[in-house]
Amino acid sequence: MLIETYEKRNPHNLFPESDLEIWIIIPAYNEEKIIGKVLKELFDMGLNLIVIDDGSWDNTYQITQQIIKNYPGRGYLYKHPINRGLGATLKTGIEAALKKNADIMVTFDADGQHNAGDILPVCYPIVEGRADVVIGKRDFDEMPQQKKRANQIMNLITRIFYGVHVQDSQSGLRAFNRNAAIALDIESREYGVSSEIVREINHKNLRMEEVPIETIYTDYSLSKGTNARIGFKILIKMIRDILK
Amino acid sequence: MVMVYQYIGVLIGVLGTIYTLLRFREGKMSLGMLLVWSAIWIIIILISLFPAETGAFAPLLGIGRGLDLVFILGLIGCYYLIFRIYNMIENVEQEITHLVREIALQRENMDIKPEEDKEN
Repeated sequence: MLIETYEKRNPHNLFPESDLEIWIIIPAYNEEKIIGKVLKELFDMGLNLIVIDDGSWDNTYQITQQIIKNYPGRGYLYKHPINRGLGATLKTGIEAALKKNADIMVTFDADGQHNAGDILPVCYPIVEGRADVVIGKRDFDEMPQQKKRANQIMNLITRIFYGVHVQDSQSGLRAFNRNAAIALDIESREYGVSSEIVREINHKNLRMEEVPIETIYTDYSLSKGTNARIGFKILIKMIRDILK
Repeated sequence: MVMVYQYIGVLIGVLGTIYTLLRFREGKMSLGMLLVWSAIWIIIILISLFPAETGAFAPLLGIGRGLDLVFILGLIGCYYLIFRIYNMIENVEQEITHLVREIALQRENMDIKPEEDKEN
């Protein structure tokens, strides 16, 4: 049992030859239906988790708490007393991970849309020292038409305003090394953070790589994420950034 | 001849001044804002009392009638105030976010640790 626990605690079995510490940052807002499954899967892969509950009003916090208790020392839970948006939540998560001396930080959505098996490919360019930031790019052709359109528009907007062309600007699965995480200067509190990260990659001259990932579309995950209304909000935010 | 709007203007100016002074006395307004608001109310009272005098300033800016000048300046003033308020709210939002994040980080595993201690 002890050996088993130790093995579970050792996240490096992902990369046996390196002793880089990987921490997964999971922003969560009202995900009680699915977060339990997501967290258990990641814990069982031997990963360290940082979960930030962004002021959920459902049982996200309680469920996470119960699960983290079963994996002592490997999971940390933070709670925003009130909802502050994805940007603020990621910022809290990155700050927490830096305090835990993480070498690689991976942001991972709590809504079950990411495949845990993609964490390894996303970390690989950093482990090999080729990149500071890795963005997991979803296959747009597999997306429902409406999502595809929304994401293409967000890519275009990101390109126009921040001058960077990435293939998936709104992806939730990304990996950062320590330098990149420290350099990131995120102001956006809401979903605009995804485009802002792209801007920062450009401004801070970070080396970026895009790695294909799988997206799991369920009715549940489809009801969340970028839609036209959020896209419009992000656009307004970008225009304001320029006028500032 | 005294027009109705003049009475209304003076009334609004006086009420505004009283409200501003009360807010300042209660400590809810800074000295700077007291001066700005008092000036605005006094100008409204003066314009209401002597509307014809605004005609002297209008040509300076290429505007025909004195009251048009007042309206234009009033609109600009309104937009400026909205802009100020917008920025203030933005700052407050940022401060709230900062606080929320700080609280969250300080309360790491808040409800989990005590039980672990008991077990040990």
